[in-house]
Amino acid sequence: MKPAADAPVVLSTHGLVSGYERDLPIIRGVDMKVTKGEFLLLLGPNGAGKSTLVKTIAGLVPVHAGTIVQEGVDLTSMPPHLRVRHGLAFVPQTENVFTTMTIHENLLVAAQILPKASRAGRIADLYAMFPDLLRLKTLRAGQLSGGQRQMLAVARALIVEPSVLILDEPSAGLAPRIVREVFDNLKAVNATGVTTILVEQNVKAALAIADRAIVLVEGQVRLEGDAHSLGDDAVMAELYLGARHPSAEARP
Amino acid sequence: MIDLLSYGAFFLSVALSYAIICLGLNVQWGQTGLFNVGIAGFVAIGAYVSALLTTPETVDHLGGFGLPIMAGWLGAALATGFATFLIGALTIRLRADYLAIATFGAAVAIHLCILNLQSVTSGPFGIGFIPRPFANLADRPLAFSLANFALLAAVVLALYLALEHLARSPWGRVLRAIREDEPAALALGKSAVRFRLQAFALGGAIMGLAGATQAHFIGYIAPDNYQPILTFQVWAMLIVGGSGNNRGAILGAVVVWGIWALSGSAVASLFPAEQQARAASLQIVMIGLALCAILLWRPRGILGEARIMSRHVLRRSPPATPLPSTPSET
Amino acid sequence: MTPQVLMDGLIAGAMIGLGAIGITLTYSILRFSNFAHGEFLSWGAYLALAIASGLGYLAGGPASPIGPFSFGWTLPVATLLGIALTAGLALLVDALLFGPLRNRGSAVIILVMASFGAALTLRSLLEFIFTSKPVYFTNALQIARPLGGGLRATPDQLLMLGLAVVLVLAIHLLLTRTAIGRSMRAVSENRQLAGVAGIDVRMVIRTVWIFGAGLACVAGVMSGLLVQIRPQMGLDLLLPLFAAAILGGIGSVPGAMIAGLIVGVAEAMTVQLIGAEWRAAVAFVILVAILLLRPRGLFGRPE
Repeated sequence: MKPAADAPVVLSTHGLVSGYERDLPIIRGVDMKVTKGEFLLLLGPNGAGKSTLVKTIAGLVPVHAGTIVQEGVDLTSMPPHLRVRHGLAFVPQTENVFTTMTIHENLLVAAQILPKASRAGRIADLYAMFPDLLRLKTLRAGQLSGGQRQMLAVARALIVEPSVLILDEPSAGLAPRIVREVFDNLKAVNATGVTTILVEQNVKAALAIADRAIVLVEGQVRLEGDAHSLGDDAVMAELYLGARHPSAEARP
Repeated sequence: MIDLLSYGAFFLSVALSYAIICLGLNVQWGQTGLFNVGIAGFVAIGAYVSALLTTPETVDHLGGFGLPIMAGWLGAALATGFATFLIGALTIRLRADYLAIATFGAAVAIHLCILNLQSVTSGPFGIGFIPRPFANLADRPLAFSLANFALLAAVVLALYLALEHLARSPWGRVLRAIREDEPAALALGKSAVRFRLQAFALGGAIMGLAGATQAHFIGYIAPDNYQPILTFQVWAMLIVGGSGNNRGAILGAVVVWGIWALSGSAVASLFPAEQQARAASLQIVMIGLALCAILLWRPRGILGEARIMSRHVLRRSPPATPLPSTPSET
Repeated sequence: MTPQVLMDGLIAGAMIGLGAIGITLTYSILRFSNFAHGEFLSWGAYLALAIASGLGYLAGGPASPIGPFSFGWTLPVATLLGIALTAGLALLVDALLFGPLRNRGSAVIILVMASFGAALTLRSLLEFIFTSKPVYFTNALQIARPLGGGLRATPDQLLMLGLAVVLVLAIHLLLTRTAIGRSMRAVSENRQLAGVAGIDVRMVIRTVWIFGAGLACVAGVMSGLLVQIRPQMGLDLLLPLFAAAILGGIGSVPGAMIAGLIVGVAEAMTVQLIGAEWRAAVAFVILVAILLLRPRGLFGRPE
C-alpha cells in the first residue's frame, strides 16, 4: 500500500547505536522514519548491519545510545514481549518457529497475549489467510518445508495484529518460485495496512514490491529513496547491485 | 624467629601443594574450558596410589611396596591421568555440564571406594607412615621445613615452565583454537575431542601428582581429607588468580590458602571451643560468597588471564542464541 | 530379595523424582545444571521444620498426630509456607546471582560454577544456623502396617508416595495443557524467539524457579519425615537427582519421576544385595551407564 504523502510516522529511530559488545557498535548512528502503511526495504552489503538493526528494533540487541519510538511510545529499553504487545512483530531469519511444537501450538503460543475470548477467532483468521497451515495444523513445525516454515513464522507474527511487521530475510534459502509466493503474501499483508520493513538480499524482486528503500553500509544509512528510482541509482549500483551482479544488469 | 620462619615455610609448602592442583585445573579449565567438579576425587587417587606404592609392607592395606618416593609420585600421576581419561572419554563429546556432573559423581564414588575398600585403603582409618622427603632432617625443624619448601617450589617451578612451554607449543595453540573458535573445533572434528581429552588427562595427572606430594608432605592421609570442600577451595584459588593464567593459578593458591588459614585462626580465637565446628562453616560461607562475587564482578580474576579466557567466559550466551556467531550478518 | 525392597525403593524414589523434576526444569529452560538444587531440598526441610516448631510453640505444645500419621496439623501448614519460602529463596538466588550472569550472556559453565558456589554457601549457612546434628519432624515411631502380599509400609510412606504421584501428574498436565506450560516449552526451545513471540521470558524463568524450589521443598520434607534432616542431605541427594534427571531425559517431567523411582529401587536393591555402605555409588553407576548407552535418557529428545 502506497502511503499518502502526509501519512504519520509509525516507527522511528534517532541516533541509534547498538551492538552485542559495548566497545564494538555495529549500528553506528541510524536515523530512520517509517510512515504508516509503508513497505520499506532495508538493503546493504553483507555485514552492513541490516539484521542487527532490525534485531535492535525488536529488542534482541543491546542499545548503546539513541532511541526507538513507535507511535509515540519509547521502546528503547522495553523487553521484546512488551514491544510485541505494543504492535511490533518481528520474524527472525532463522529459527523463527518452535520446531518441537505443532503449527497449531505455535499459533497458540503467539495468541497468548490476546484476550482469551479473541484467541480462537484470531487463529481462525490466520488459517483463512494461510489455508496450507490449517491443512497441516497438527504437524510439528520441525517437519515443515522452508516455505511452509516461513509462512508459519509470518502467520505467528501476524496473530497479534501488529501495526509494524519486520522480516529478516524471509527468502533466504528458498527456491525462486517459493520466494515469489512469500513476497506475494507479504505484499497482500502490507495491503491490509500493516507497515512492513523487509531486510532482503534479493534486491530486484524486493524493490518491485517495496515503496521505499534504505541502504545501510557499515552500520550507517548511506542512501535512501523511492524504491523505483533507487533501482536506477548509480551509487546504489556500484555499492550494492554492482557487487552482486557483475553484469550490472540494473544499470540502464 | 626461627619458629616463624619455619611456620612460613610450612604454610607456603601447603599453599604450593594446592598450587600444583591449581595448575592441573588450569590445564583443564583455563586452557581447554573443561569443567571438573571432582578435583577432590582425583587428588585422592594420587595420594592413595603414591601412599600404597611407597609405604613399608603392612597388613592394614594393599601393598606397602616400599618403593622410592619418586616412583610413588610417578605412579600417582599415571594412575590419576588414566582415571581422568576414562571420565573424560565418557562425557567429553556430550554437553559441557555432563562432564561436570560426571566428575562430581566420580568424586563421590572414589570417596566411597576409599572408605569401603578397607583391604586396599584401610578405609576410614587412613594410611600413616607415608615416607616424607628429607626424613633425615626431621630432627631439625627449620632445615626440614625449608628443604620441603624448596622441593615443592622446584616442582611448581618445573611444572610452571613446562606448562608455559606447552601452552606456546603447537599443541597448546590447537587447544586454544578449539576453545576460542567453535567452527575451528568442528572442522577438527574427531581430533578436537582427542585434544581435549589429552588436556583433561594431563590436568588429572598433575592433580594426582599434587595429591601425592601433599600425602608425602603431611605423612598421613584419610578419606575425609578429600571432601567436596577441597574441590571448592581449588576452584576459588583458580578463579581468584584468573583462569587461563598459570602465574595466576599459583598466586591464587597462595592468596586463598592464606585467607583460609587466617580466617581459620580468627574463628579459633573468636569463638568458644564448643562453637568452633559451627563457626568453621562460616569460613566456607565466606569462600562461597567470594567465588560468586568474583564471578559477578571480576570474572577475570586478580591477575586476569593472558588474554586467553576472556571471550569464552564473558560472551557467548549458549541458550540457543546464535547471536555473536551468526555467520550471515553483522 | 523381597517385594518389600521394591516398596522401600519406590518410596525413596518418589522423593528423588520430585527433586529431579526441579533439576530437569531448570536444565531445560535455564540451560544449566544447578548444583545448588540439592540445597533447596535441605532448606525446604529446615524451613518447614522451623515453621512447624514455631506453630507448635504458638499453639502451646506439639500438635497431636492426624489420623494414622506421625505428624499433626502443623506440618502440612508448615510445608505450604516452606514451599513459598523455598521458592522465595530460589528467586533471591536468581536475582542476586544467576540473573545478572544470564543477562551478561555468561557461558553455561560459569552458571554451573556459580551454582556450585551458591550450593556451598547455602549448605554451610544451614550448618551454621542449625549445626550439623540431625533433627526430626517428629519423635513418634511409626509401625509399618501390612499391606498384603508380604508388603509393609507406614502410613507416612504411603502418603508420600501418593502425594508424589499427584504432584507429578499435576505438573505434567500443567506443562502440556496450559498457557504457562506452553510458554515454558517455548522458552526451553528458543528463548529469543519466545520473547519475540510475546512471551514474558522473565516471568517464565521465575515460574520455573518457583516450581523447582517448591517441589524441592516437598522432597526435602519427605526426606526429613522418612529419614532425618541434616545440612548435608541435599548434597547427598544431588547425585541421585542428577542421575534421575539425565536418565529420565532432560526436560521430561514424567521421565524424571520414573527415573527417580528406578534410582530409588536400584539403591534399595543394592542395600539389600551388596550392603548399605555402597548405596551412594548406585547413582554414579547409573549415570555412567546412561551416558555410555543413551545420553539423551529414556524420554529425552535427541540433541
